[in-house]
Amino acid sequence: MTDIVVKTVEELKDAPEEYREAVSKLVISHAINELYGAQVFDEPAIAYAPTPYAKWLTCRVAMEEYGHHVRFKQLGVQMGLPEERMIPGKGKKPLSIFEFPLKTWEEFVAIKLLADLAEILQVEDLLHCTFHPLRNLARATMPEERFHAQFGEDFSAELVKTPEGKARLQAAVNEYWPYLPKFFGGSKSKNNEIFRKWKIKQRTNDEMREDFIKRATEVSAKYGLTLPEIREAA
Amino acid sequence: MIFMGPLRTEVHAASWFTALGEPLTDGDRADAQAYADVAEVVGIRSWPEAEAFLKSPVSLAWWDREEALRKTLLSRAEALHPERALWTSLTELTTETGDLVHGKAATAAARAGNAAAASIHVAAGAAAQAVYQLAVARLAGETASLFESKFRLFAAGRWPLGVMGSKLVLF
Repeated sequence: MTDIVVKTVEELKDAPEEYREAVSKLVISHAINELYGAQVFDEPAIAYAPTPYAKWLTCRVAMEEYGHHVRFKQLGVQMGLPEERMIPGKGKKPLSIFEFPLKTWEEFVAIKLLADLAEILQVEDLLHCTFHPLRNLARATMPEERFHAQFGEDFSAELVKTPEGKARLQAAVNEYWPYLPKFFGGSKSKNNEIFRKWKIKQRTNDEMREDFIKRATEVSAKYGLTLPEIREAA
Repeated sequence: MIFMGPLRTEVHAASWFTALGEPLTDGDRADAQAYADVAEVVGIRSWPEAEAFLKSPVSLAWWDREEALRKTLLSRAEALHPERALWTSLTELTTETGDLVHGKAATAAARAGNAAAASIHVAAGAAAQAVYQLAVARLAGETASLFESKFRLFAAGRWPLGVMGSKLVLF
């Protein structure tokens, strides 16, 4: 472990190159994935929401996801990163889950229930980050991410009230779940090793994945849902 | 970035959610008629009543009409402005507005004391959507769209909840 604390973007200029690169990679990754999420899932879901209440709630969730992209991008710009690197289609490959356009309301509820739980774990791991502007951004983002996961729980609770709704939700879970554990990266990730070396992140990808599977299993069980077995090692 | 200063000023000057549940005025009715072109304007008096209406299986034809208009206006705006500048301006305005109106909705809900926590997000989503729709209309060069009247209702502290048959429901 290497002890360093960077309290401002200004101080980052004096940090070791490996540290600066690691922080930049994380900021870019979050900026891109927040934007993908908003464009691929949250905004299209507004059309599928069944009532005005659900539609405006989804509007707000979409705006918050876009807002997370804006905040990460603003931090990146302050750090001197080109905006192009923080916008999809300009280099970084998206996570595989974003390659499946949303088709139903139940899919969106399943994504909020499970994918946003994965997002919570990612943000949690930054709450003690040694780069304080990123730590503070994680702290600002966390209440909204928790609300989005609660949104998934609330609408799951509604859907499972009928056998038909529960079956549709379970089908959506079956479709999306296999892609989610990959969200945490490879077991032997060199990037993760560097993140932990500088205490930018706290846990290995495998530790986070294991925690995610445990928590996802628990929250699914609350609504009588099961997670399909993942055949392929992440 | 596209300059959106006048709209930003209007957004900050608006009386977001300050007249919810108050008796309807002639001005409210006039703006409501201009917005929805309905025979009747019905006032709703409380957050629980508003929540029940919004969760009911009402017709969403009015929502679909607004969406169709927004898409038409967005196409026009895209023809008038560079794509990246248009997209960035709308995203940043909506993000800024979302944070502002969320706080205003939370204040109104706290004063009323009987709103569900999620309804604050719903109110913020509705208000920020109204600003986004108005921004799209103005960027398309349209200054007399129904989104102008819709925004005026929000600016006057109201929240138009939707159209039910020939009635506009106003909180």
